[in-house]
Amino acid sequence: MARQVVILLHNAIEATGIQRIILDTFGITAHQASGIGELLQLPTDAIDLVVTDAQYFLENLKVFLPRKARTLVVVDRPVQGDGDVKLIDVQQDTDQVLAALSHFLGEKEEENNQPNVLSGREIDVLRLVASGMINKQIADTLNISINTVLTHRKNITAKLGIKSVSGLTFYAMMNGIIDPK
Amino acid sequence: MNNLTLIHHDTKLSDIVIAEPTALTVLNRFGIYLGLGDLTVARACDNLGIDKDFLTTILNTYLHESYFPERILASFKAATIVDYLGQTNNYYAQFQLPNIERHFNLLISKSDPANNNLELMLRFFHEMNGQLLARIADDRNHWFPAILQAEAEAEARSQDADALSGDRVQEPEDTVEDKLGDLISMMVIHLQGDHDSNLALAVLMALANLKKDITQNNRIRNRLLLPIYQVLSKA
Repeated sequence: MARQVVILLHNAIEATGIQRIILDTFGITAHQASGIGELLQLPTDAIDLVVTDAQYFLENLKVFLPRKARTLVVVDRPVQGDGDVKLIDVQQDTDQVLAALSHFLGEKEEENNQPNVLSGREIDVLRLVASGMINKQIADTLNISINTVLTHRKNITAKLGIKSVSGLTFYAMMNGIIDPK
Repeated sequence: MNNLTLIHHDTKLSDIVIAEPTALTVLNRFGIYLGLGDLTVARACDNLGIDKDFLTTILNTYLHESYFPERILASFKAATIVDYLGQTNNYYAQFQLPNIERHFNLLISKSDPANNNLELMLRFFHEMNGQLLARIADDRNHWFPAILQAEAEAEARSQDADALSGDRVQEPEDTVEDKLGDLISMMVIHLQGDHDSNLALAVLMALANLKKDITQNNRIRNRLLLPIYQVLSKA
Protein backbone atom coordinates (compact mmCIF):
# COMPACT_ATOMS: atom_id res chain seq x y z
CA MET A 1 0.00 0.00 0.00
CA ALA A 2 1.30 3.49 -0.85
CA ARG A 3 2.69 5.36 2.11
CA GLN A 4 0.97 8.56 3.23
CA VAL A 5 3.16 11.50 4.11
CA VAL A 6 1.75 14.87 5.18
CA ILE A 7 3.86 18.02 5.28
CA LEU A 8 2.68 20.79 7.58
CA LEU A 9 5.13 23.69 7.62
CA HIS A 10 4.84 27.46 7.86
CA ASN A 11 7.66 27.91 5.36
CA ALA A 12 6.29 27.00 1.92
CA ILE A 13 9.74 26.82 0.32
CA GLU A 14 10.96 24.32 2.90
CA ALA A 15 7.75 22.34 2.46
CA THR A 16 8.18 22.16 -1.31
CA GLY A 17 11.86 21.21 -0.95
CA ILE A 18 11.13 18.35 1.45
CA GLN A 19 8.23 17.23 -0.72
CA ARG A 20 10.63 17.05 -3.66
CA ILE A 21 13.28 15.11 -1.74
CA ILE A 22 10.68 12.57 -0.62
CA LEU A 23 9.40 12.16 -4.18
CA ASP A 24 12.86 11.85 -5.70
CA THR A 25 14.25 9.47 -3.11
CA PHE A 26 11.30 7.36 -2.02
CA GLY A 27 8.89 7.81 -4.94
CA ILE A 28 6.20 9.05 -2.55
CA THR A 29 4.03 12.07 -3.34
CA ALA A 30 3.70 13.83 -0.01
CA HIS A 31 0.66 16.01 0.64
CA GLN A 32 1.16 19.62 1.77
CA ALA A 33 -1.52 20.39 4.37
CA SER A 34 -2.82 23.94 4.56
CA GLY A 35 -3.18 23.94 8.36
CA ILE A 36 -3.62 21.88 11.49
CA GLY A 37 -7.35 21.56 10.76
CA GLU A 38 -6.69 19.59 7.58
CA LEU A 39 -4.35 17.26 9.44
CA LEU A 40 -7.01 16.60 12.08
CA GLN A 41 -9.49 15.50 9.42
CA LEU A 42 -7.22 12.63 8.38
CA PRO A 43 -7.42 9.36 10.34
CA THR A 44 -4.32 9.00 12.53
CA ASP A 45 -3.60 5.45 11.40
CA ALA A 46 -3.67 6.38 7.72
CA ILE A 47 -0.61 8.61 7.97
CA ASP A 48 2.88 7.11 7.95
CA LEU A 49 4.70 10.36 8.57
CA VAL A 50 3.93 13.97 9.40
CA VAL A 51 6.69 16.48 8.71
CA THR A 52 6.05 19.64 10.69
CA ASP A 53 7.94 22.52 12.29
CA ALA A 54 8.65 23.37 15.91
CA GLN A 55 5.96 26.06 16.03
CA TYR A 56 3.14 23.78 14.84
CA PHE A 57 4.43 21.02 17.09
CA LEU A 58 4.58 23.10 20.27
CA GLU A 59 1.25 24.83 19.62
CA ASN A 60 -0.49 21.47 19.03
CA LEU A 61 1.08 19.08 21.51
CA LYS A 62 -2.24 17.29 22.04
CA VAL A 63 -2.30 16.47 18.35
CA PHE A 64 1.33 15.47 17.92
CA LEU A 65 2.27 13.69 21.14
CA PRO A 66 0.01 10.67 20.48
CA ARG A 67 1.59 10.32 17.04
CA LYS A 68 5.14 11.38 17.94
CA ALA A 69 6.56 8.07 16.68
CA ARG A 70 5.45 9.12 13.20
CA THR A 71 6.33 12.81 13.41
CA LEU A 72 9.42 14.53 12.11
CA VAL A 73 10.02 18.08 13.36
CA VAL A 74 11.95 20.43 11.10
CA VAL A 75 14.40 22.76 12.84
CA ASP A 76 16.83 25.25 11.32
CA ARG A 77 19.66 24.92 13.85
CA PRO A 78 21.11 22.08 15.95
CA VAL A 79 18.74 21.35 18.83
CA GLN A 80 19.28 18.91 21.70
CA GLY A 81 16.16 16.73 21.50
CA ASP A 82 14.95 14.36 24.21
CA GLY A 83 15.28 11.41 21.85
CA ASP A 84 11.53 10.81 21.84
CA VAL A 85 10.73 13.10 18.96
CA LYS A 86 12.75 12.84 15.77
CA LEU A 87 14.22 16.13 14.54
CA ILE A 88 15.48 17.07 11.11
CA ASP A 89 17.89 20.00 10.84
CA VAL A 90 17.52 21.58 7.39
CA GLN A 91 21.01 23.07 7.71
CA GLN A 92 22.48 19.56 7.57
CA ASP A 93 23.76 18.05 4.34
CA THR A 94 21.51 15.99 2.09
CA ASP A 95 22.76 12.62 3.34
CA GLN A 96 21.76 13.38 6.93
CA VAL A 97 18.36 14.70 5.86
CA LEU A 98 17.85 11.52 3.80
CA ALA A 99 18.94 9.37 6.74
CA ALA A 100 16.34 11.05 8.96
CA LEU A 101 13.61 10.49 6.35
CA SER A 102 14.72 6.89 5.78
CA HIS A 103 14.15 6.23 9.48
CA PHE A 104 10.44 6.54 8.75
CA LEU A 105 10.06 5.77 5.08
CA GLY A 106 12.52 2.90 4.88
CA GLU A 107 10.81 0.84 7.56
CA LYS A 108 8.01 -0.57 5.44
CA GLU A 109 10.38 -2.48 3.14
CA GLU A 110 11.97 -4.19 6.14
CA GLU A 111 8.54 -5.10 7.44
CA ASN A 112 7.81 -6.72 4.09
CA ASN A 113 10.94 -8.84 4.57
CA GLN A 114 11.90 -8.12 0.98
CA PRO A 115 15.14 -6.21 1.33
CA ASN A 116 16.07 -6.74 -2.32
CA VAL A 117 12.86 -5.31 -3.77
CA LEU A 118 13.47 -2.06 -5.60
CA SER A 119 11.34 1.01 -4.91
CA GLY A 120 9.48 2.67 -7.78
CA ARG A 121 12.08 5.41 -8.03
CA GLU A 122 14.94 2.92 -8.02
CA ILE A 123 13.26 1.09 -10.91
CA ASP A 124 13.05 4.43 -12.79
CA VAL A 125 16.79 4.94 -12.26
CA LEU A 126 17.59 1.34 -13.21
CA ARG A 127 15.58 1.68 -16.44
CA LEU A 128 17.60 4.76 -17.43
CA VAL A 129 20.94 3.15 -16.44
CA ALA A 130 19.99 0.17 -18.61
CA SER A 131 19.14 2.48 -21.51
CA GLY A 132 22.74 3.71 -21.44
CA MET A 133 22.34 7.06 -19.71
CA ILE A 134 25.11 8.48 -17.56
CA ASN A 135 24.36 9.91 -14.10
CA LYS A 136 24.04 13.50 -15.34
CA GLN A 137 21.50 12.50 -17.99
CA ILE A 138 19.53 10.48 -15.43
CA ALA A 139 19.51 13.45 -13.05
CA ASP A 140 18.26 15.76 -15.82
CA THR A 141 15.62 13.30 -17.02
CA LEU A 142 14.19 12.66 -13.55
CA ASN A 143 14.76 16.24 -12.42
CA ILE A 144 16.81 15.17 -9.40
CA SER A 145 20.35 15.93 -8.26
CA ILE A 146 23.35 13.79 -9.24
CA ASN A 147 23.83 13.01 -5.53
CA THR A 148 20.32 11.56 -5.41
CA VAL A 149 21.07 9.48 -8.52
CA LEU A 150 24.24 8.18 -6.84
CA THR A 151 22.27 7.31 -3.69
CA HIS A 152 19.72 5.38 -5.77
CA ARG A 153 22.47 3.55 -7.65
CA LYS A 154 24.21 2.63 -4.40
CA ASN A 155 20.94 1.27 -3.02
CA ILE A 156 20.19 -0.66 -6.23
CA THR A 157 23.61 -2.33 -6.13
CA ALA A 158 23.25 -3.14 -2.42
CA LYS A 159 19.81 -4.67 -2.96
CA LEU A 160 20.61 -6.65 -6.11
CA GLY A 161 24.28 -7.55 -5.55
CA ILE A 162 24.95 -6.31 -9.10
CA LYS A 163 27.26 -3.38 -9.81
CA SER A 164 28.26 -3.32 -13.49
CA VAL A 165 26.11 -1.41 -15.98
CA SER A 166 25.93 -4.52 -18.17
CA GLY A 167 24.85 -6.65 -15.21
CA LEU A 168 22.14 -4.16 -14.28
CA THR A 169 20.99 -4.04 -17.91
CA PHE A 170 20.61 -7.81 -18.08
CA TYR A 171 18.84 -7.82 -14.71
CA ALA A 172 16.42 -5.21 -16.10
CA MET A 173 15.77 -7.43 -19.14
CA MET A 174 15.26 -10.51 -16.97
CA ASN A 175 12.66 -8.71 -14.91
CA GLY A 176 10.76 -6.97 -17.73
CA ILE A 177 11.97 -3.49 -16.76
CA ILE A 178 13.28 -3.02 -20.29
CA ASP A 179 12.68 -5.10 -23.41
CA PRO A 180 15.34 -7.70 -24.23
CA LYS A 181 17.16 -6.41 -27.31
CA MET B 1 40.42 -17.65 3.59
CA ASN B 2 42.62 -20.72 3.85
CA ASN B 3 44.46 -22.41 6.73
CA LEU B 4 47.80 -22.21 5.01
CA THR B 5 50.72 -20.47 6.68
CA LEU B 6 53.38 -18.75 4.59
CA ILE B 7 55.20 -21.06 2.22
CA HIS B 8 58.97 -21.60 2.54
CA HIS B 9 61.58 -23.60 0.60
CA ASP B 10 61.10 -26.64 2.84
CA THR B 11 57.27 -26.64 2.68
CA LYS B 12 55.90 -29.87 1.22
CA LEU B 13 53.86 -29.33 -1.96
CA SER B 14 51.32 -31.93 -0.82
CA ASP B 15 50.65 -29.88 2.35
CA ILE B 16 50.02 -26.81 0.22
CA VAL B 17 47.56 -28.56 -2.14
CA ILE B 18 45.71 -30.35 0.67
CA ALA B 19 45.24 -27.04 2.51
CA GLU B 20 44.34 -25.12 -0.67
CA PRO B 21 43.57 -27.29 -3.72
CA THR B 22 43.52 -24.29 -6.10
CA ALA B 23 47.31 -24.14 -5.63
CA LEU B 24 47.46 -27.11 -7.98
CA THR B 25 46.46 -24.88 -10.92
CA VAL B 26 49.59 -22.80 -10.23
CA LEU B 27 51.83 -25.87 -9.91
CA ASN B 28 50.39 -27.32 -13.13
CA ARG B 29 51.45 -24.18 -14.97
CA PHE B 30 55.02 -24.90 -13.85
CA GLY B 31 54.80 -28.53 -14.96
CA ILE B 32 54.17 -29.97 -11.49
CA TYR B 33 51.28 -32.45 -11.28
CA LEU B 34 49.48 -34.72 -8.76
CA GLY B 35 51.36 -37.60 -7.16
CA LEU B 36 53.45 -35.09 -5.26
CA GLY B 37 54.87 -37.53 -2.69
CA ASP B 38 57.04 -35.67 -0.16
CA LEU B 39 58.39 -33.21 -2.71
CA THR B 40 59.28 -29.84 -1.17
CA VAL B 41 59.26 -26.49 -2.94
CA ALA B 42 63.07 -26.51 -3.06
CA ARG B 43 63.39 -30.03 -4.50
CA ALA B 44 60.69 -29.43 -7.11
CA CYS B 45 62.49 -26.28 -8.22
CA ASP B 46 65.83 -28.10 -8.43
CA ASN B 47 64.24 -30.82 -10.55
CA LEU B 48 62.67 -28.31 -12.95
CA GLY B 49 65.41 -25.67 -12.95
CA ILE B 50 63.12 -23.01 -11.46
CA ASP B 51 64.34 -20.36 -9.00
CA LYS B 52 63.24 -21.38 -5.46
CA ASP B 53 62.56 -17.81 -4.30
CA PHE B 54 60.54 -17.17 -7.41
CA LEU B 55 58.15 -20.14 -6.99
CA THR B 56 57.84 -19.42 -3.26
CA THR B 57 56.93 -15.80 -4.00
CA ILE B 58 54.45 -16.79 -6.74
CA LEU B 59 52.69 -19.26 -4.43
CA ASN B 60 52.54 -16.86 -1.48
CA THR B 61 51.26 -14.02 -3.69
CA TYR B 62 48.63 -16.31 -5.22
CA LEU B 63 47.44 -17.84 -1.95
CA HIS B 64 47.70 -14.99 0.55
CA GLU B 65 45.77 -11.81 -0.11
CA SER B 66 47.79 -9.85 2.45
CA TYR B 67 51.19 -11.01 1.15
CA PHE B 68 53.33 -8.38 -0.56
CA PRO B 69 56.79 -9.49 -1.72
CA GLU B 70 59.33 -7.52 0.33
CA ARG B 71 61.66 -7.22 -2.62
CA ILE B 72 61.69 -8.28 -6.22
CA LEU B 73 64.93 -10.25 -6.57
CA ALA B 74 67.23 -9.84 -9.55
CA SER B 75 66.80 -13.56 -10.17
CA PHE B 76 63.09 -12.98 -10.97
CA LYS B 77 62.96 -12.93 -14.72
CA ALA B 78 60.07 -11.08 -16.31
CA ALA B 79 60.10 -13.78 -18.98
CA THR B 80 59.25 -16.45 -16.37
CA ILE B 81 56.30 -14.47 -15.02
CA VAL B 82 55.14 -13.68 -18.55
CA ASP B 83 55.35 -17.38 -19.39
CA TYR B 84 53.36 -18.29 -16.29
CA LEU B 85 50.67 -15.64 -16.97
CA GLY B 86 50.58 -16.64 -20.65
CA GLN B 87 49.82 -20.22 -19.61
CA THR B 88 47.20 -18.92 -17.23
CA ASN B 89 45.57 -16.97 -20.05
CA ASN B 90 45.63 -20.05 -22.28
CA TYR B 91 43.94 -22.04 -19.52
CA TYR B 92 41.14 -19.47 -19.35
CA ALA B 93 40.72 -19.22 -23.12
CA GLN B 94 41.05 -22.89 -24.00
CA PHE B 95 39.54 -24.61 -20.99
CA GLN B 96 37.68 -22.56 -18.40
CA LEU B 97 35.65 -20.25 -20.65
CA PRO B 98 34.56 -22.99 -23.10
CA ASN B 99 33.79 -25.23 -20.12
CA ILE B 100 31.46 -22.63 -18.58
CA GLU B 101 29.77 -22.04 -21.93
CA ARG B 102 29.27 -25.78 -22.45
CA HIS B 103 27.66 -26.14 -19.02
CA PHE B 104 25.54 -23.04 -19.58
CA ASN B 105 24.20 -24.45 -22.87
CA LEU B 106 23.45 -27.79 -21.22
CA LEU B 107 21.68 -26.03 -18.37
CA ILE B 108 19.54 -24.03 -20.82
CA SER B 109 18.69 -27.15 -22.84
CA LYS B 110 17.40 -28.87 -19.69
CA SER B 111 15.46 -25.90 -18.30
CA ASP B 112 12.01 -24.49 -18.92
CA PRO B 113 12.14 -23.08 -22.50
CA ALA B 114 9.62 -20.38 -21.55
CA ASN B 115 12.05 -18.97 -19.00
CA ASN B 116 14.46 -16.55 -20.71
CA ASN B 117 16.46 -15.88 -17.51
CA LEU B 118 19.25 -18.27 -18.36
CA GLU B 119 19.41 -17.17 -22.01
CA LEU B 120 19.97 -13.61 -20.84
CA MET B 121 22.60 -14.72 -18.33
CA LEU B 122 24.38 -16.58 -21.14
CA ARG B 123 24.34 -13.39 -23.22
CA PHE B 124 25.87 -11.54 -20.28
CA PHE B 125 28.47 -14.30 -19.99
CA HIS B 126 29.30 -13.89 -23.71
CA GLU B 127 29.88 -10.18 -23.14
CA MET B 128 32.23 -10.85 -20.21
CA ASN B 129 33.90 -13.65 -22.22
CA GLY B 130 34.62 -11.24 -25.10
CA GLN B 131 36.10 -8.69 -22.72
CA LEU B 132 38.37 -11.27 -21.07
CA LEU B 133 39.54 -12.59 -24.46
CA ALA B 134 40.33 -9.01 -25.54
CA ARG B 135 42.44 -8.57 -22.41
CA ILE B 136 44.23 -11.86 -23.13
CA ALA B 137 44.89 -10.78 -26.73
CA ASP B 138 46.28 -7.48 -25.48
CA ASP B 139 48.61 -9.32 -23.10
CA ARG B 140 49.76 -11.63 -25.89
CA ASN B 141 50.13 -9.03 -28.65
CA HIS B 142 51.26 -5.91 -26.80
CA TRP B 143 52.05 -6.00 -23.11
CA PHE B 144 54.00 -9.25 -22.79
CA PRO B 145 56.09 -8.72 -25.98
CA ALA B 146 56.96 -5.19 -24.88
CA ILE B 147 58.21 -6.45 -21.51
CA LEU B 148 60.15 -9.31 -23.06
CA GLN B 149 61.72 -7.05 -25.63
CA ALA B 150 62.78 -4.55 -22.98
CA GLU B 151 64.27 -7.26 -20.84
CA ALA B 152 66.15 -8.78 -23.77
CA GLU B 153 67.47 -5.46 -25.00
CA ALA B 154 68.15 -3.95 -21.60
CA GLU B 155 71.19 -2.05 -22.82
CA ALA B 156 69.33 -0.37 -25.65
CA ARG B 157 66.35 0.21 -23.41
CA SER B 158 65.83 3.87 -24.15
CA GLN B 159 64.79 3.05 -27.70
CA ASP B 160 62.07 0.75 -26.40
CA ALA B 161 60.47 3.28 -24.14
CA ASP B 162 57.72 3.96 -26.63
CA ALA B 163 56.88 0.29 -26.92
CA LEU B 164 56.74 -0.11 -23.16
CA SER B 165 54.50 2.86 -22.68
CA GLY B 166 52.51 1.92 -25.76
CA ASP B 167 48.78 1.52 -25.96
CA ARG B 168 47.13 -1.03 -23.73
CA VAL B 169 43.57 -2.07 -24.32
CA GLN B 170 41.53 0.47 -22.40
CA GLU B 171 39.32 -1.53 -20.05
CA PRO B 172 35.75 -0.30 -20.03
CA GLU B 173 34.46 1.07 -16.76
CA ASP B 174 33.08 -2.34 -15.76
CA THR B 175 35.86 -4.88 -15.36
CA VAL B 176 35.78 -8.58 -16.13
CA GLU B 177 35.97 -9.20 -12.37
CA ASP B 178 32.89 -6.99 -11.75
CA LYS B 179 30.91 -8.80 -14.42
CA LEU B 180 31.88 -12.23 -13.12
CA GLY B 181 30.77 -11.16 -9.64
CA ASP B 182 27.48 -9.92 -11.10
CA LEU B 183 26.89 -13.19 -12.98
CA ILE B 184 27.42 -15.10 -9.73
CA SER B 185 24.96 -12.78 -7.93
CA MET B 186 22.40 -13.25 -10.72
CA MET B 187 22.55 -17.01 -10.35
CA VAL B 188 22.62 -17.08 -6.57
CA ILE B 189 20.07 -14.33 -5.87
CA HIS B 190 17.91 -13.80 -8.94
CA LEU B 191 17.62 -17.09 -10.86
CA GLN B 192 13.94 -17.85 -11.51
CA GLY B 193 11.99 -20.76 -12.93
CA ASP B 194 12.58 -24.49 -13.21
CA HIS B 195 16.14 -25.60 -13.91
CA ASP B 196 18.47 -28.55 -13.46
CA SER B 197 20.00 -27.90 -10.05
CA ASN B 198 23.12 -30.03 -10.67
CA LEU B 199 23.95 -28.22 -13.89
CA ALA B 200 23.22 -24.86 -12.25
CA LEU B 201 25.66 -25.79 -9.50
CA ALA B 202 28.25 -26.78 -12.11
CA VAL B 203 27.93 -23.39 -13.86
CA LEU B 204 28.06 -21.55 -10.55
CA MET B 205 31.16 -23.41 -9.35
CA ALA B 206 32.92 -22.87 -12.68
CA LEU B 207 32.16 -19.12 -12.55
CA ALA B 208 33.31 -18.90 -8.92
CA ASN B 209 36.54 -20.79 -9.69
CA LEU B 210 37.30 -18.53 -12.65
CA LYS B 211 36.68 -15.40 -10.59
CA LYS B 212 38.87 -16.66 -7.76
CA ASP B 213 41.68 -17.65 -10.14
CA ILE B 214 41.59 -14.30 -11.95
CA THR B 215 41.61 -12.41 -8.64
CA GLN B 216 44.56 -14.42 -7.34
CA ASN B 217 46.53 -14.09 -10.58
CA ASN B 218 45.83 -10.35 -10.63
CA ARG B 219 47.96 -10.20 -7.50
CA ILE B 220 50.84 -11.77 -9.47
CA ARG B 221 50.29 -9.27 -12.31
CA ASN B 222 50.06 -6.27 -9.98
CA ARG B 223 52.55 -7.15 -7.25
CA LEU B 224 55.25 -8.89 -9.30
CA LEU B 225 55.06 -8.19 -13.04
CA LEU B 226 53.89 -4.58 -12.79
CA PRO B 227 56.81 -3.44 -10.55
CA ILE B 228 59.26 -5.09 -12.98
CA TYR B 229 57.47 -3.40 -15.89
CA GLN B 230 57.74 -0.04 -14.12
CA VAL B 231 61.46 -0.47 -13.44
CA LEU B 232 62.06 -1.40 -17.08
CA SER B 233 60.09 1.58 -18.34
CA LYS B 234 61.92 4.07 -16.13
CA ALA B 235 65.44 2.77 -16.71
